[in-house]
Amino acid sequence: MRFYPVDIEERRELGGYTLLSYRWPDGSVQPGQFVMARVAGYPVTLDPFLARPFSFYDHDGEVASLLFEVRGRGTALLDRAPERIEVSAPLGHGFDIGANGTPAALLGGGIGVAPLKILSRHLTARNVRHDIFLGFAEARFAAVAAEFPGSKVATVDGSEGTRGTVLDAVPDLDRYGAVYACGPNPMLAAVKRVAGEDSVCQLSVEERMGCGNGSCNGCVVPVRDGGYVRSCIEGPVFRAEVLAW
Amino acid sequence: MVVRERTTRVDLAVELCGLQLHTPLIPASGTLAKEALGEVEGVYGAMLPKTTTPRPRAGNPPPRIAETPAGMVNSIGLQNPGVEQFLKDLDAFDVGVPLFISVAGDTVDEFVALCERISSDERISGIELNLSCPNVEHGGLTFCAGPASVEEVVAACRAVVREKPISAKLTNEGAVENARAAEAAGADALTVINTVPALTIDARARKVLVRGGLSGPAIKPIALRAVYEVSRAVNVPILGSGGVASGQDVAEFMLAGATAVQIGTTSFVREPHTILEEFAGFLRDTGMSAAELIGALR
Ligand SMILES: Cc1cc2nc3c(=O)[nH]c(=O)nc-3n(C[C@H](O)[C@H](O)[C@H](O)COP(=O)(O)OP(=O)(O)OC[C@H]3O[C@@H](n4cnc5c(N)ncnc54)[C@H](O)[C@@H]3O)c2cc1C
Ligand SMILES: Cc1cc2nc3c(=O)[nH]c(=O)nc-3n(C[C@H](O)[C@H](O)[C@H](O)COP(=O)(O)O)c2cc1C
Ligand code: FES
Repeated sequence: MRFYPVDIEERRELGGYTLLSYRWPDGSVQPGQFVMARVAGYPVTLDPFLARPFSFYDHDGEVASLLFEVRGRGTALLDRAPERIEVSAPLGHGFDIGANGTPAALLGGGIGVAPLKILSRHLTARNVRHDIFLGFAEARFAAVAAEFPGSKVATVDGSEGTRGTVLDAVPDLDRYGAVYACGPNPMLAAVKRVAGEDSVCQLSVEERMGCGNGSCNGCVVPVRDGGYVRSCIEGPVFRAEVLAW
Repeated sequence: MVVRERTTRVDLAVELCGLQLHTPLIPASGTLAKEALGEVEGVYGAMLPKTTTPRPRAGNPPPRIAETPAGMVNSIGLQNPGVEQFLKDLDAFDVGVPLFISVAGDTVDEFVALCERISSDERISGIELNLSCPNVEHGGLTFCAGPASVEEVVAACRAVVREKPISAKLTNEGAVENARAAEAAGADALTVINTVPALTIDARARKVLVRGGLSGPAIKPIALRAVYEVSRAVNVPILGSGGVASGQDVAEFMLAGATAVQIGTTSFVREPHTILEEFAGFLRDTGMSAAELIGALR
């Protein structure tokens, strides 16, 4: 895998998350695509050894940004990264925003909010009407909702917005012609169950990744037709009906 | 391949079982997808896609990988579309360098049937027998669990593959004994080693995370020793595999006796191109060719 050293242009706390921006003027980024990122590679970091996948939070043609939650060592190192990190080129299949019904519902669970910013930007550019629903564990994380004007929020502890999960913030999901969701896999399975039968439902899944370029077969999800497919190549965004969840 | 490094010419070519490799690097089976071939153009002296089996295999349920210091544990379960689909897709790997195919079966007969199926294919230069899969006729012990089993499967494959080289891929455990058995049964080469049995646990969840094989720089000294010992025990060429991460590592494996060196897990985090450039730099500094380096410990 090829990594590119990039200078951090901006680092900002967004609620419980960190936003990192870097210049990426080369080519376009599709909503839902991701990068493999790390603070440095071999031999500087033999532990952690692998890079980590992150969705694009935004890309305006010049500057790309990632939004991340510190979970373990990889993200802790990125959080503290001095001036530079290393990223791959944009990877994977993102959301298909071409042939969808309206209006659209965008659902983010926790850090699953990340790809909704760039998705919303692209939908707005196409004049697709859309509502944004965000679910968080607690109010500390919900602060990021300020970046999504008009979004509806739920928190599990009820400290902000509706008490419950993101689905509790959506009154009538089956009213929407298109559903886009990103979050923990159990949330995505729930969205799939609740989404209207006629709506186009797309889910951005989260699996552990080794390589990010299709080589290791580590990142698979089960599919309806039997067997597994790689979420870094065929995904990370899948049509809900394709997944065997 | 002759790389012009500053003013000195560096000769990277090696000969493996009568095949000319323009560099001694080969991708380790199961670590290079066709989608990633564009990133490695010109780097590899031979190609080696993921192991194929007689029928499609779904592979193991996730989680399949867990990171460990300087490596990872994987339990992919030989996910592959089966040999017929594999051959239909094979052109992607036919990039003008010798093409090795890795095969695995549940029984000796399946190994033989696979060898027969692929050995007449003109795109294919050689076969690697992945012997670290379980033999269902022997209670699930792997084919390289002991010399008798290695000898049986290699001899049976040799009997149906007369014109093309066969490399038997061995695990670290019993490598020397198994290497002798494979050579005696007619193997033209040996691939040493496969992943090392390993386990990761998620302590908070009190669950086994991944039970599988360890790969990456963590296993390099283990693989290096196996290559060194096997090269002293047999006369056939060795393809070194296990934790190779730099040009210096390539040189070490060749000095230990490897004719070619496989790059696996490290390709997930480093460009193989960089490894080749480092290796060329090493040769330039020492004034040796790649071929001269093989087994040239003082
Ligand atoms: C396509 C894709 C896009 C992603 N986008 C984002 C994003 O925009 N922002 C963000 O913060 N995170 C995102 N993630 C998740 C992110 O990759 C993980 O949080 C990160 O790898 C954790 O690394 P770590 O070293 O901090 O944690 P580790 O020390 O590796 O693990 C900490 C904890 O997280 C769990 N974990 C680690 N990796 C994963 C994984 N891939 N899936 C599920 N659980 C995991 C571990 O089991 C452990 O409990 C994305 C994942 C994928 C697959
Ligand atoms: C994700 C993954 C998949 C692998 N798949 C195969 C395989 O299909 N057949 C095989 O013979 N070896 C397979 N291996 C083993 C590698 O070919 C190699 O022998 C081993 O990983 C040690 O080398 P490395 O440390 O350079 O990766 C796999 C290894 C990894 C990490
Ligand atoms: S992360 Fe390696 S195949 Fe997807």
